[in-house]
Amino acid sequence: MNPLHPANAMPSAPAAHAEVEWAGEQLHLLPEKALWWPARSTLFVADVHLGKAATYRALGQPVPGGTTQNNLQRLSRLIDRLHAARLVVLGDFLHAAHARTPQVLKALEDWRSQHHATEMVLVRGNHDDRAGDPPAHLGIEGVDEPWLLGPFACCHHPQTHASHFVLAGHDHPVCRLTGRGRDALRLPCFASIRAGATLPAFGAFTGGHLVRPGNGVALHAIGGDRVWCLPPGH
Amino acid sequence: MSATPPPVPPDATAWMAARGWAPFDFQREVWDAMARGESGLLHATTGAGKTYAVWLGALQALANAEAKRTPPLTVIWLTPMRALAADTLRALLAPLPDLAPAWTAGARSGDTSSSERAKQATRLPTALVTTPESLSLLIARADAQEQLGLTALLVVDEWHELMGNKRGVQAQLAIARLRRWNPGLRVWGMSATLGNIDEAMHTLLGPQAATQGRLVRGATPKTLTVDTLLPDRVERFPWAGHLGLTMVPGVVREIEASATTLVFTNTRSQAEIWYQALLEARPDWAGQIALHHGSLDRGVRDWVEQGLKTGALRAVVCTSSLDLGVDFLPVERVLQIGSPKGVARLLQRAGRSGHAPGRPSRVTVVPTHSLELIEGAAAREAALAGQVESRQAPQAPLDVLVQHLVTVGLGGGFTPEALYDEVRSTAAFAHLSPEAWRWCLDFVSQGGSALSAYPDYRRVVPDDEGIWRVPDARLARRHRANIGTIVSDASLSVQYVGGARLGQVEEGFAARLKPGDCFLFGGRLLELVRIREMTAWVKRATGNRPAVPRWNGGRMPLSTELADAMLAQLDVLHAGHATSPETQTVLPLLQLQARWSALPGRHTLLAEVLASREGTHLFLYPFAGRHVHLGLASLLAWRVARLTPATFSIAVNDYGFELLSVTPVDWSKQLNEALQMVDEATLLQEVLHSLNASELAQRRFREIARVSGLIFQSHPGEQRSSRQLQASSSLFWEVFRQYDPDNRLLRQAEQELLVQELDITRLQATLERLQGMRLALHPIARPTPFAFPLMVERLREKLSSESMADRIARMVAQLEKAAGADGAPPPLSADAIGQNLGFGRESAIHESPSSRQRDAQRTRRSRRG
Repeated sequence: MNPLHPANAMPSAPAAHAEVEWAGEQLHLLPEKALWWPARSTLFVADVHLGKAATYRALGQPVPGGTTQNNLQRLSRLIDRLHAARLVVLGDFLHAAHARTPQVLKALEDWRSQHHATEMVLVRGNHDDRAGDPPAHLGIEGVDEPWLLGPFACCHHPQTHASHFVLAGHDHPVCRLTGRGRDALRLPCFASIRAGATLPAFGAFTGGHLVRPGNGVALHAIGGDRVWCLPPGH
Repeated sequence: MSATPPPVPPDATAWMAARGWAPFDFQREVWDAMARGESGLLHATTGAGKTYAVWLGALQALANAEAKRTPPLTVIWLTPMRALAADTLRALLAPLPDLAPAWTAGARSGDTSSSERAKQATRLPTALVTTPESLSLLIARADAQEQLGLTALLVVDEWHELMGNKRGVQAQLAIARLRRWNPGLRVWGMSATLGNIDEAMHTLLGPQAATQGRLVRGATPKTLTVDTLLPDRVERFPWAGHLGLTMVPGVVREIEASATTLVFTNTRSQAEIWYQALLEARPDWAGQIALHHGSLDRGVRDWVEQGLKTGALRAVVCTSSLDLGVDFLPVERVLQIGSPKGVARLLQRAGRSGHAPGRPSRVTVVPTHSLELIEGAAAREAALAGQVESRQAPQAPLDVLVQHLVTVGLGGGFTPEALYDEVRSTAAFAHLSPEAWRWCLDFVSQGGSALSAYPDYRRVVPDDEGIWRVPDARLARRHRANIGTIVSDASLSVQYVGGARLGQVEEGFAARLKPGDCFLFGGRLLELVRIREMTAWVKRATGNRPAVPRWNGGRMPLSTELADAMLAQLDVLHAGHATSPETQTVLPLLQLQARWSALPGRHTLLAEVLASREGTHLFLYPFAGRHVHLGLASLLAWRVARLTPATFSIAVNDYGFELLSVTPVDWSKQLNEALQMVDEATLLQEVLHSLNASELAQRRFREIARVSGLIFQSHPGEQRSSRQLQASSSLFWEVFRQYDPDNRLLRQAEQELLVQELDITRLQATLERLQGMRLALHPIARPTPFAFPLMVERLREKLSSESMADRIARMVAQLEKAAGADGAPPPLSADAIGQNLGFGRESAIHESPSSRQRDAQRTRRSRRG
């Protein structure tokens, strides 16, 4: 075996998710662009942007339907697989006031009834401020940031908190990986510093904002159904 | 009206005689044809009296010399560039007082003042000079038929510039509209020489009208000289990003020797840099030389054009902005910086010198890298042999049709049956199937086809009487703001802090600048102060500071005609004859190439294989132009990657391409097979597969999404940047592919990519040609003169058949290693290659040390990008 052959220099394939310790708690970074806190059976996602396509259509831009269903199905699969007791959405659950179409609200209602046992909390983000809270009868509790849960300050906008580790969204972080042979990929990622972390956008019809490593920012990239811990200072 | 005396046709011959002119035969031929109500196409080199052939013909056919009342809009004169509108208008106005005193003439384009617009809102002039976009805007007016319905003649100037793109299709659709209102409409085009001039007329007039169209050939071509400004020494490593500034002293000598000179460049940034370099070489020329390109403010361009006309300017450095129109400039000398890329373009630019019927013209190519010496010799041979390129007209671009449906919906509405017939009278949509038509109607009315209608989406819908209209005023406004088919980068105004507006820069460039950075613009070194509200606020830069280079598009492929001529030149050289001054000069470089590897030729396909720390490089030189090379490279990569998972990075230029793979590929075993010819259908399938593995189609989709109104470039009062547009068009691409895979706009993106970007017909011909060639595969120890420019090319495509996880794993492993204690050496960069080869130092003949230093700095920065 030639040790210089790249195939042989590869690290052993990692587990699908990555485990980190933030604020003294064990957390799983999931390739489904979500964060899992086993000890409290809590699932975190950020920036779902439900009804974004419907909003575009209402503004006269043709976009096919289906993205909202896809978002909700992916959430359902996670909740079912992990038996999540609580779902915390770190902002931008609904995309805009235009997103509250009968179809979107119906899909949301059906989805909520499938998971009636799961407690759901929405930390309001900038989009939610304009879109409004989900209908009250759905039992999704709307709260303002920072919303404290254990050692965590659940927020939408990345920020620092005097006492708690901040979990946030808003940025839609993606990173760029480059390598030999001029290979390059753009991947959604988790970006964390000592005092907090930003989650990738969960929504299917959302873009990304490039984050550069350095300044103590650690990145976990998502690609090929896995989460990859990138070495510091890459 | 009954008391009106019979019309008196104006006497153009007398008018010309009064100026000491006599009509040419071809001018009379056009006049006669127009008088008979015929349509046609007039083709000739620039400045051969085409304008007056058509305009005086129009006045004689349509005007009444003794009429007192101003007639309504009668002639629409389309020009491809709004910069030309003012000039054209001047030419049209000249004979009016004598020949048709009652006529008025005006211009309407993006440059038209709001007071002029207000005047035109109530009444359009008798003759209107406008662009295809502005004409579509007029067609989108609710009173369009009332305003435009009496148009008797539509003239398209510089048709060769329009026929090959979607603006030409937009013009075809507009003609069909005008013809429906006035079936007697005459249509006349003016075109430079083309390889397929019959097709040009067919495309302009539409299949039906073309059968009776008249093709008129202009005055006999002037004598033509094509030569090359020879460098004092030839660099060993030609590099495409190189700006050729070592040629500045030679160019200065040429400008000194002539009364007026046009210096053509291929990009705006190159124009800026050359202007700066000329001023540094001759500071005393300040005020005597000027810069002209499309980003400059209108006032500046006008000033330069006037200066050229009065002969006040010694030289103007320009881009294609001065390729067209602006008749009868007293220009003595024309220089072309870098390859002209095609024979037609070279002829066009040559026609700028001695720009009057029958005068000799001369163009001198100034090579920016060594291999362009061969291109210069090749261009001369091809030009003298009359090997002029053809232009292919787009076939049924649905994005343009979708836009047109909304435009017509706004301009009085339509019934589908009548509009289908009208649309099929154009060459572009003559074969539009009922299914495609249905799909377009569905798309504008409900988003997708009947089965996949998008909920809550409406753009154009039938009213109670079955007339399709646009009911939503907000959508109507947005559509009007987005009419057109030119998808350019969004641009920012450049303005002095508290001072004058200078022009515009591409947003993508501005986004890379930080406050304090300097850049060249309008011939000045400017420092960015801040960017706010789509304006880049600047001040003059002080001191000697490096400028940030600009990279923008305009990478035209070498035409087949020129590429073939170039291979012929190489063959002659290979046989040991350097017959022209150009080839004699470049001989040492080619000898080095032959020593390290071999020379490519018409019968030898040269392949070079190099192993580096980056991986395995294959260099192949089919000389088929960058578009075909991209298609061929993708195809080869895909064929190899199908057998073994691999990731390829692809670089192309006009001479050949590079395939770089991390995993080793034994090209001596695989290349022959990978180059195999297959039948047309299989090739198409394979190329489509290779496309799916790359991101090319997605990029093409951006333009289509914008033209069809899927995404909007900007709306008044809504500063939306084009970078957001780019992001969202890739998002749209994903969403459409996943949720509406049958959307015809996706298929169109694929088709356009095949036809326009990869040139599948030429690709097939190339593959066939390669079969008859001897494959010479040379392992090389270091990049050869031909390989080097490819190796340092920054713009690359990717094709991968590896799993994403494998690629990420390799990249992460490499990062781990780099981060480790021993610190593995970084991958070989273009910088390192350039430095190892001693490249990047301008030769010592450059006169100003400060600019040399600056240029070197620029070269380094630009390569790092």
